[in-house]
Amino acid sequence: MDKKTILLKINDEEYSITTCPNRTLLEILRDDLSLTGAKESCGEGACGACTVLLDGLPMRSCLLLVTEAEGKEITTIEGLSGNGKLDPIQDAFIEYHAIQCGFCSPGMILTAYSLLKNNPDPDEEEIRHAISGNICRCTGYAKIVEAIQAISTKGR
Amino acid sequence: MEKYSLIGKSVKRIDVTSKATGEAIFSADIKLSRMLVGKILRSPYPHARIIRIDTSEAENISGVRAVVTASDTSGDKWGVFRYTQDQQFLPTDKVRYVGEEVAAVAAVDEDTAIKALKLIRVEYEELPAVFDVESARKPGAPLIHEQYPSNININIKIDVGDIEKGFQESYYVREDTFMAPEDSYFQGEPYAVAAHFDQSGNLEIWMPNAGPHLKAKPLSNVLKIPLNKVRVRKVRIGGAFGGRSEISPADVICALLAKKSQRPVKIVYTREENSIATRQAHSMVATIKTGVDKEGRVLARDITCYMDGGAYSSTGPIAVSVPFLCMEQAYRMDNVRYNGYRIFTNKPVRGMFRTHGRAFACGIDLQLDMIGKELGLDPVQMRLNNVRKTGEYTSTKSYITSCGMTETVLKTTEKAKWNEKWGKLPPYHGIGIGCNSVQTGFPMGIRGGSQAFIKFNEEGGISVITGIVDNGQGNDSMIVQIAAEELGLDLNNVQLITADTEVTPSDPGSYSMCETFIGGNAVRLAARDAKKKLLKIASEALKVNADRLDLRDKKIFVVDNPEQSISMSKVVRMALGRGESISGEGTYWPKVDSRREWVENPSGQLSETFSFGSVVAEVKVDPETGKVDVLEVTAAQDVGYALNPKVIEGQFEGGVAMGGQGGMLSEYVLWYNGRVLNPNQLDYMVPLATDMPKINNIIVETIDPNGPYGAKEAGMSVAMSAAQAYCSAVCNAIGVNIKEFPLTPDKILTAIEEKEKFKQNIK
Ligand code: FES
Ligand code: FES
Repeated sequence: MDKKTILLKINDEEYSITTCPNRTLLEILRDDLSLTGAKESCGEGACGACTVLLDGLPMRSCLLLVTEAEGKEITTIEGLSGNGKLDPIQDAFIEYHAIQCGFCSPGMILTAYSLLKNNPDPDEEEIRHAISGNICRCTGYAKIVEAIQAISTKGR
Repeated sequence: MEKYSLIGKSVKRIDVTSKATGEAIFSADIKLSRMLVGKILRSPYPHARIIRIDTSEAENISGVRAVVTASDTSGDKWGVFRYTQDQQFLPTDKVRYVGEEVAAVAAVDEDTAIKALKLIRVEYEELPAVFDVESARKPGAPLIHEQYPSNININIKIDVGDIEKGFQESYYVREDTFMAPEDSYFQGEPYAVAAHFDQSGNLEIWMPNAGPHLKAKPLSNVLKIPLNKVRVRKVRIGGAFGGRSEISPADVICALLAKKSQRPVKIVYTREENSIATRQAHSMVATIKTGVDKEGRVLARDITCYMDGGAYSSTGPIAVSVPFLCMEQAYRMDNVRYNGYRIFTNKPVRGMFRTHGRAFACGIDLQLDMIGKELGLDPVQMRLNNVRKTGEYTSTKSYITSCGMTETVLKTTEKAKWNEKWGKLPPYHGIGIGCNSVQTGFPMGIRGGSQAFIKFNEEGGISVITGIVDNGQGNDSMIVQIAAEELGLDLNNVQLITADTEVTPSDPGSYSMCETFIGGNAVRLAARDAKKKLLKIASEALKVNADRLDLRDKKIFVVDNPEQSISMSKVVRMALGRGESISGEGTYWPKVDSRREWVENPSGQLSETFSFGSVVAEVKVDPETGKVDVLEVTAAQDVGYALNPKVIEGQFEGGVAMGGQGGMLSEYVLWYNGRVLNPNQLDYMVPLATDMPKINNIIVETIDPNGPYGAKEAGMSVAMSAAQAYCSAVCNAIGVNIKEFPLTPDKILTAIEEKEKFKQNIK
């Protein structure tokens, strides 16, 4: 397959990469750019471990061809914190013990971040619904829900 | 002053910031320069002789750096026990399940590796295969291993007391058979391994593992390199749940590829490979005959279990024993006979699982409910009349040093308002209870104990060096909490070096729930050893007897005159200046009976202590769809002492999800002629956030006399008893006892239908 040069904007940095256009965004992030925060757990769009934000919306990067991400603002878990400061949602996950093995956490946190951006005041049902595409095998979700609730406007 | 400054508090875990930012490195994230991609060729047949393997075409394509087959191995067979050596990691003679490793390739990229795999020509001669325990035991069934007649891999026989007499004296006796198919660990992280040899022949290897030392020794044996040249490195682990303790064929294959190509190699399993080609849980058929007196006290039990072990032994002897052992710990069984069989079939290999033996455990509890119904006793009374108590011996002679089982039953049922609900709920609502108990380790030969070291830097901060593993449950943080507590430090004064076979001393690994009890005790002893040395130097400096000194907030002070003190850093510097050792060393060897052996001698102290738990579940069943709505779950466990309560709650909640919600309602492996039909995330149903009920956590503390600060184990008894509670609750809701698990909608609907038909016939 012919290679193509693609421009990506990830965490406010520009990347120009030359690659076969049939590769997924997840492969490019992990293998070419060493942004390994996005995980592959199922590789078929079912678990949410590979979630990144595209123009602020959570997307499964294992299902996206890299070409589909061109021209979009991509945020990975590495881009959520900056200047030595964590995003409040990351702090909440830590404080409320919402992380065990941590394999689902990057995807889960980005999904929660986007939920709160679009709905700063979700109730428990809305939270559970929003994260129902992110599978966590360790926690039983209780503390994840608590963490998200804690920093919703009501929780604050 | 509070007794402890850090212990017993829900301090933030030390490892989770890196997990929240994506910084934490898991095996698949590892990148070494010039690293190759490894891929494995797997058997398409459940049982076939390997006639020849031709790799020449694959070797010739550009970008392929190594191809390995059985001819690159010694051909030796490996096993966890001396008497279970039956697995080659690349088989020479035949394949025994669909998905078994046959050959492997290392190439510059994944596409090239996959292309090369397709060019490896394997000639097979298909053999007849067996896929269930019944056909595998039939006379004339194809033998999977020559040395195991009738495909019987393991038979555990336990016979205690006098069951004949017990049954004779019984007021009521019943026998039932319970069944459950295999379930899957479904760890978040699919298996991955990265390996690399240096010029001196040292192997450096990373993989998700529940015990680096348990991995290193077999690797050294199989690869025929000295143990000191095998360096299993620490890496973040995305869950184990009882798996990942044994060496995996992928570990050996990755090392072979690295050796042959002279380059680092990484193999990353797909989700499907993780479901098929790593150890998974057993299916089970359990026949339980129980005799009771008028008060529902069990006078005799006779149990026969058949477990489908798949193609190789794995941890078979342990796997066949543990379901029974958990139950003999949970409930008194003075007269009991257990016959546990593990049978070989042409299916992927089964191993230990967090909620092991659901058919048996749920069967015991469901049967207690049935018996109670005959006797007019409610399930809680049935439990209270039979649960284990402190100071007793289990059937196989383990002394129980601390036991809060009764308390867990009372507290869960009170919180769940059992008395207001039992027998009074509307149709298709139900409530149920389950009880279970787990070990904190068991005899593991020379790797049964743990050691730890502590060294100081000149500012008074420390490095803790221990073999303990963190699979995600928080063990790393626990260790830091203990060391900091003992030495009067903050959590961030402690550096942790764990789970690296080059650096860290022997440890059983995060296996059989022993890390808190064994590893935690070792670290505590190491800290106390260092403390003693520090106090001795301080006592000279302060001119006060050492027994009047203590340590807190990085100061050594006189207990009855805290003003008089000296900073730790000063004491450390004094030691350095004098060339005196202040490093700490601790070893903890659990008091277990080393003569106890799984098959030959299943008697004697199994584990130094045990945890005990109860779960109550309340459910609503939709009689139209068979769907179960779980309204509320209350979980309690005697954890000994809660070192970090929030971490323990997290274990309870995760246990309810895996054991109860998934394990009893939706999780099972589907087969077609030895092929797994649902290896992927879309088809294997693990619980989602929207499935989970409200969970009430109740921590019960009995302060074990020998646990670190009284602690035992943090949540496994809940994970196990959750399935039992769900099962009892659903059966109570529909008024029918289903004996085949998990309780999926189809089974529930059939049961309801049959009940209705039966009622009509009676009319
Ligand atoms: S890895 Fe992309 S959704 Fe599972
Ligand atoms: S914390 Fe392990 S999968 Fe979520």
